[in-house]
Amino acid sequence: MAILEVEHVSKTFDKTEVLKDISFSLEKGDVVSIIGSSGSGKTTFLRCLNFLEHPDTGVIRVNGETLFDAADPQTRQESEIRKKRLHFGLVFQSFNLFPQYTALGNVMLAKELLAKEQPDYKARKKEIHAEIEEEAKGLLTQMGLADRMNNYPHQLSGGQCQRVAIARALALKPDILCFDEPTSALDPELTGEVLKVIKELADQKTTMIIVTHEMAFARDVASQVIFMDDGRILEKGTPAEVFEHTKEERTRQFLSRFTQG
Amino acid sequence: MKRKVLSVLLCGVLAVSMLAGCGSKSGDVVTNTDTEDAAENAAEDGSSATDTETAADSDMAYVVDKGTLVVGITDFEPMDYKDENGDWVGFDADMAKAFAESLGVDVEFVEIDWDNKVLELDGKSIDCVWNGMTLTDEVTSSMECTGAYLNNAQVVVVPKNVADKYQDTDSLADLSFAVEAGSAGEAEVSALGLNYTPVKAQSDALLEVASGTSDAAVIDSLMAAAMIGEGTSYADLTYTVALNSEKYGVGFRKGSDLAAVLDEFFVNAMADGSMQACAEQYGVQAALVQE
Amino acid sequence: MAQMPIVIGALNSGFLQTLRLFFITLIGAVPLGLLIAFGSMSKFRPLSMLSKFIVWIIRGTPLMIQLLIIFYFPGLVLHKQIWGGGETGRFLAASISFIINYACYFSEIYRGGIQSVPVGQEEAGLVLGMTKTQIFFKVKLMQMIKRIVPPMSNEIITLVKDTSLARIIALQEIIWAGQAFMKGSQGIAGEIWPLFFTAVYYLIFNGVLTVLLERLERKLDYFR
Repeated sequence: MAILEVEHVSKTFDKTEVLKDISFSLEKGDVVSIIGSSGSGKTTFLRCLNFLEHPDTGVIRVNGETLFDAADPQTRQESEIRKKRLHFGLVFQSFNLFPQYTALGNVMLAKELLAKEQPDYKARKKEIHAEIEEEAKGLLTQMGLADRMNNYPHQLSGGQCQRVAIARALALKPDILCFDEPTSALDPELTGEVLKVIKELADQKTTMIIVTHEMAFARDVASQVIFMDDGRILEKGTPAEVFEHTKEERTRQFLSRFTQG
Repeated sequence: MKRKVLSVLLCGVLAVSMLAGCGSKSGDVVTNTDTEDAAENAAEDGSSATDTETAADSDMAYVVDKGTLVVGITDFEPMDYKDENGDWVGFDADMAKAFAESLGVDVEFVEIDWDNKVLELDGKSIDCVWNGMTLTDEVTSSMECTGAYLNNAQVVVVPKNVADKYQDTDSLADLSFAVEAGSAGEAEVSALGLNYTPVKAQSDALLEVASGTSDAAVIDSLMAAAMIGEGTSYADLTYTVALNSEKYGVGFRKGSDLAAVLDEFFVNAMADGSMQACAEQYGVQAALVQE
Repeated sequence: MAQMPIVIGALNSGFLQTLRLFFITLIGAVPLGLLIAFGSMSKFRPLSMLSKFIVWIIRGTPLMIQLLIIFYFPGLVLHKQIWGGGETGRFLAASISFIINYACYFSEIYRGGIQSVPVGQEEAGLVLGMTKTQIFFKVKLMQMIKRIVPPMSNEIITLVKDTSLARIIALQEIIWAGQAFMKGSQGIAGEIWPLFFTAVYYLIFNGVLTVLLERLERKLDYFR
């Protein structure tokens, strides 16, 4: 069964149709790269999956559970949505780390707030805290930041910040981890360290959706590539299908700009 | 809008004052010597004069009812000032205490901003201004005033070293003056067509002269006697010409029946000698208005 | 000088009144300002319009006029002096005028502080499953405080000096106390120096405040 099913999602901002009838599905362990020019709706699509935007039409299902149905007002309530967001993680282009917390604090914060909602929180407070801290340290070590845990974001490089942000998203164990152009805000020499971490996650069969402009990376890491244009999915397939046996003229135009430039 | 509110206010005050005026007059006739009785009668008559108005429309009844006469003052030796215990004393303060006692109410002294005295009265935050207040046209038109009880003069203050040159009114023409805004002194200099700057208080006017920003000031003679010359910060100042003699009175809310009651009280205090005794205590006996 | 103890005593009690007004204004205006800030950012239009209208009136008129209106208007218009004429009444009226006035200034600072926190902070909190309340207190508040401390410090220093305006309704704060000796008070008349000496009180107090506020600012320097 597909881990994620998206059916007929569309979204309009002020009369501009940004997403037009998007449908696709994803299997557990899949890594999907979404490519396309700016304004093609890639970011809006990711934001819809994380409920930062509410689609005007369509259904979003995870593991067969309907998280969102535009036709069912009950699924649109903010209180309902909060927990459903946890199925997804999102890594932002501009990191959005919390500046007043250390790297470790950033990774632990949301988990600790969630833990307070557990019925046995008061009794096991110390224990729970220790568990969360242990996990967070493990994640940061995995990101190669073992010696940076107690640094504040402003003391870290962009690449280090983005790796903290990835650890922060992973801490909540999302079913699907989304990346919104994770390296676009980084200096070229720093993109490598972030891409390497994402590659490692792919190797561990983490289900991911990655919006990116790094074509070589998309091709290398993805099991599926989606080309979006003008709010539609224009082309979809394995990296080999999309990059080497391109069907659509529009896709070819887009790719040629990257191979030349 | 504000004008409308004020005119409504004024009508109300006028109406009350007319009623109250009737009341206090008839009260005086009934008991000539006992002011406390007069007060009560005044209040009663006020209420019986019309069926619709209540006793509260008499200012006297209002004060008696709340049990405190709030006296608006400034710190002004020898009229109202604090003794070493921090209690208000002075010729005016002591007379005010005696007057309140005769009404059977407590007295409360409150320092006010002199510029706002009419506002304080109309806003009912004080009940009277009793602070060596010169009876100018402005004062008598905006307050219900008693008759004069003390004489005063406006005197010209200049530095000692030039005092010889300014001994008569004609010599003042090319001086620049500092006077308290709205004071009797300001009225005098502006009537003489002199060049002047209005300042916040008489003491500020002295400061202007001392610092040289103005050539001369015009202040009350009683105040001048207390504030300048040897032993003060203004040892180099002196006063010369008396511009005008004037008189002190006590002001109440426009239309208040209390002014007449206080006049009566003054007459009695003069008759039994208590006012003279009080004046002597503060060295102002020579200035008492004799009648 | 024999006058010294008397003058200092009077200035001290005047300054005590200044301090009382200062602290009561802070205690009242800091939370009230937050309410007004939320009001003016509310999505419910009548509330935001009302809040903005109040802020416009208060910031658009001199505090001195507000003091006069709040103290004298009830007696003039309603024929009922709600404050009482004594010193307590004057202090109460002054406190309320100052609290309302400063709350409006603070609210604008808060609003700027809240709006200057990038929208990405809220989004990051949301995708991590945090509630709006958690996001406000755990994520945005600290960043907002850091941003408002410098402008708030300015307002607070100004407030110390603005308390002297309360003498328009005859609140006997330190400048009033200093001026009293020019006219004559407690046997001392015609003395100018006490008025100028009040500046020393303001200077020292503002010096202490500046040091404390700078220390706070430095404490918040651990993040950017």
